[in-house]
Amino acid sequence: MTDPDHDIEQALASLRPRAPGPAMEDRLARELDAPSSRRGVIIAWSSGLSAIAAALVAAFVFLGGIVEPEAPTYQLVHVEQTRPDVQVFHPVRMDDGSYARPMRVRWQDTTRWEDARSNTRLINYRPNDQLTLLPLETN
Amino acid sequence: MPDAHADQDWRAWFAEHGARLRLIARQWTRSEADADDVVQEAFVRFWKHQRHLPGNPNALVVTSIRRAALDLLRRSDRRSVREKVVGDDMETVTWFEPEADPRLAALADSLKLLPAEQREVVVLKVWGDLTFDEIGEQLSISPNTAASRWRYAMEALRKHITARTHD
Repeated sequence: MTDPDHDIEQALASLRPRAPGPAMEDRLARELDAPSSRRGVIIAWSSGLSAIAAALVAAFVFLGGIVEPEAPTYQLVHVEQTRPDVQVFHPVRMDDGSYARPMRVRWQDTTRWEDARSNTRLINYRPNDQLTLLPLETN
Repeated sequence: MPDAHADQDWRAWFAEHGARLRLIARQWTRSEADADDVVQEAFVRFWKHQRHLPGNPNALVVTSIRRAALDLLRRSDRRSVREKVVGDDMETVTWFEPEADPRLAALADSLKLLPAEQREVVVLKVWGDLTFDEIGEQLSISPNTAASRWRYAMEALRKHITARTHD
């Protein structure tokens, strides 16, 4: 006794589905034959550079931990104080009835240290701005 | 379907199985162009990442095809109605090579007349080489439901062929 479903199944299996065209193979080849896609190249480069950077950081941290750096010894090599800029204003009357003359003085202090071994320098620049009142005597 | 071994050329494997993969993809796509896109995406994913996995490679590649097809359908649903209408070539494109045997030609035509839920079971069983259990997993239905749809499909095909041969 034959199974009628089996006959139809066999007949179906003998049908030949239409094969994809050659364009499909070209499309697959672009994805499967390429050694690596552009994105893959970027990722590979990124991974490589990241690994190198990590190795350098690790080496720096490791070596930095066991090599005691010699502290620089800075020597004072230069001191400079600019000529003060003085501004004198009109006298003002104070709360107690006396008079005073406001005066503003501005100048800059600059000091420089150098370490000959490391050839580094420190420069300290400090601007100064002071406002004072000069009491005036009135007769 | 033979295993896709690591040293096997994808061209040889695809030349042997590409046609039936395309037929499977065609069950869940609106046009041949969509089916080609799905096959490309699914096959590349399968060949690069899944062919070494344990289990039935048939089921793996069918799963990959179905997932790609459903993704494409979701994207297509956001397109215009015009594209949907133009893209639906279900009635105009033949799925099989021409057959000299009129009974086989009638069978090929009849397959497209089946309800989609029966037709996908037939395609997965005959050209996907899946069991009813595996078909059930693919379609999220029970194996009994898959077997039932298969029986309905066989009955309908028999009727179609008989009617055609008596015409």
